[in-house]
Amino acid sequence: MMNIVILYGTETGNAEMLAEDIQSGLQADHQVEILNLSDFAPGDFDRGRLYLIVSSTYGDGELPASAQPFGQAMKAQTPDLTGVVFGLFGLGDSEYDTFNLGSKVVQDLMEEAGATMLGERIVHDASGSDMAEDLALPWAREVVSLAETRIGVAA
Amino acid sequence: MRRIAIVGSGPSGCFTAQALLKARPGWTVDVFDTLPVPFGLVRYGVAPDHQGTKAITRQFERVFERQGARFFGNVTLGRDVTLEALRGAYDAVVLATGLAGDRDHGLGEASGIVGAGALTRSLYDHPDASHLPDVRGDVIVLGNGNVAVDLLRLLAKTADELQDSDLGPAASAWLAARPVKSLTILGRSAAAAARFDPVMIRELGKLQGVTIRVTDLPPAGGNKTVEALAALDGIATGPRSVLFRFGCQPAGIGTDAGGRIRALRVEGPSGPEILPCDTLITAIGFRCDGALDRDVLIAGAEDAETGRIAPGLYAAGWFRRGPRGTIPENRADSIALAERIVADVEAMPVTQRAGVDVLPESHKVVDWAAWKRLDAIETGQAPPGRCRTKISTRHDMLKLSRQSENAP
Repeated sequence: MMNIVILYGTETGNAEMLAEDIQSGLQADHQVEILNLSDFAPGDFDRGRLYLIVSSTYGDGELPASAQPFGQAMKAQTPDLTGVVFGLFGLGDSEYDTFNLGSKVVQDLMEEAGATMLGERIVHDASGSDMAEDLALPWAREVVSLAETRIGVAA
Repeated sequence: MRRIAIVGSGPSGCFTAQALLKARPGWTVDVFDTLPVPFGLVRYGVAPDHQGTKAITRQFERVFERQGARFFGNVTLGRDVTLEALRGAYDAVVLATGLAGDRDHGLGEASGIVGAGALTRSLYDHPDASHLPDVRGDVIVLGNGNVAVDLLRLLAKTADELQDSDLGPAASAWLAARPVKSLTILGRSAAAAARFDPVMIRELGKLQGVTIRVTDLPPAGGNKTVEALAALDGIATGPRSVLFRFGCQPAGIGTDAGGRIRALRVEGPSGPEILPCDTLITAIGFRCDGALDRDVLIAGAEDAETGRIAPGLYAAGWFRRGPRGTIPENRADSIALAERIVADVEAMPVTQRAGVDVLPESHKVVDWAAWKRLDAIETGQAPPGRCRTKISTRHDMLKLSRQSENAP
């Protein structure tokens, strides 16, 4: 049983919906909290928990509106997040060539602060044929299993 | 039991229902639409080649399928139920009918002039649309917003570039046959003040059959729209000529003996000019064309900022804010409005209300289950290369929604 926090950055609500799906998929086996990134500050990270971050892309490959205050705080505060582990799932639309950049911005902010990303950063394409949750649930389980190995908490 | 009526099932209506039911899952939220089918602008305003944007309907489906909102299509405010009656039957009524009418261009009447709203309704199979107009020759799209870009892009695309869209058979044939010689997108303001979304301008850089020129550009100076426009200038992937011009105030039109537009007179950046123009598409904003007197309602609103018109009466989306702002901006408005409604309604004493029983018993609504049957027909009848073929008349929508009900 992992202590998991799902953080989402959203603009149209699609990332929020996906975050809720991931919560539904994990909560039978884990303790899962879900938070909008607009309600989360860099100082809130806890090394005993796993962070699953879901972020869309907006405008010119930028962070979605609800993640922008978090992004600005990360830049301003330059926190030391060494030992913090996270997984990252992006949402975008390949009609636009910057479609996978929002989650990349989050990855860069987290890694520059010393946090460790587990698994691959996957980006769902809204113009593709896959359902986001069909990609996100296997991704979440993979990240959780990597975290269990790493943090040493047996399921 | 608290009852909320939302008039209009477009994004602002659905986001308001979503936020209300998130905050108060036990409330009754009834969403009405004048059309038999839901989703308003997402279905009839978002371009058919932007299916990724249309994917927000997956959220809205959950509002009806999991959060408990009810859909009542084919209900026209003012005809099937008055606003007064609806207000009596619900604790709060939210007007989210959008703005469907084209703003007047003030250039007078001529054949060959078509409003963007009218044209998109025809192209997107809206049941109230008129026939597809005669668009040909030198085409000018007047306007610097995202609707103008949508129309420019659709008119410039090759048939291959419309793969996987939900553009219908008539519109597809019409686009394939259109005798367009040139496309000019004309801005009244300077390029730096254009309201295009830069990301939609950059999308034009992927067009496969165009030669693009962008004139009247200032140095970018950090302006993302100007940067995106500058990057388009000189793209040459095919024969269709696309020209961007800015700072051109329309001053009048010239017509031929048959009454068709042949020229647009403008006050350009360096003086008066006469531009050849066989078709003028005006994409200069929208106004309310429904039964509601929006101007009076909004002018008299107690708090136009949050959308409270009067006790128990609210406005959402474009109906409140005017024809500006994207879907995410209107979502933020809807979330704020829902908070306001919850606070207001909970401050009122609980009153027995009729709710949807306010509709005459004989009135045939299209409910969510009926819409799902239509939805299955539409996706099932899509030909190769299309993700949906919309049912295009009210008559067929109503007939098919009932027929399939009785099917095994």
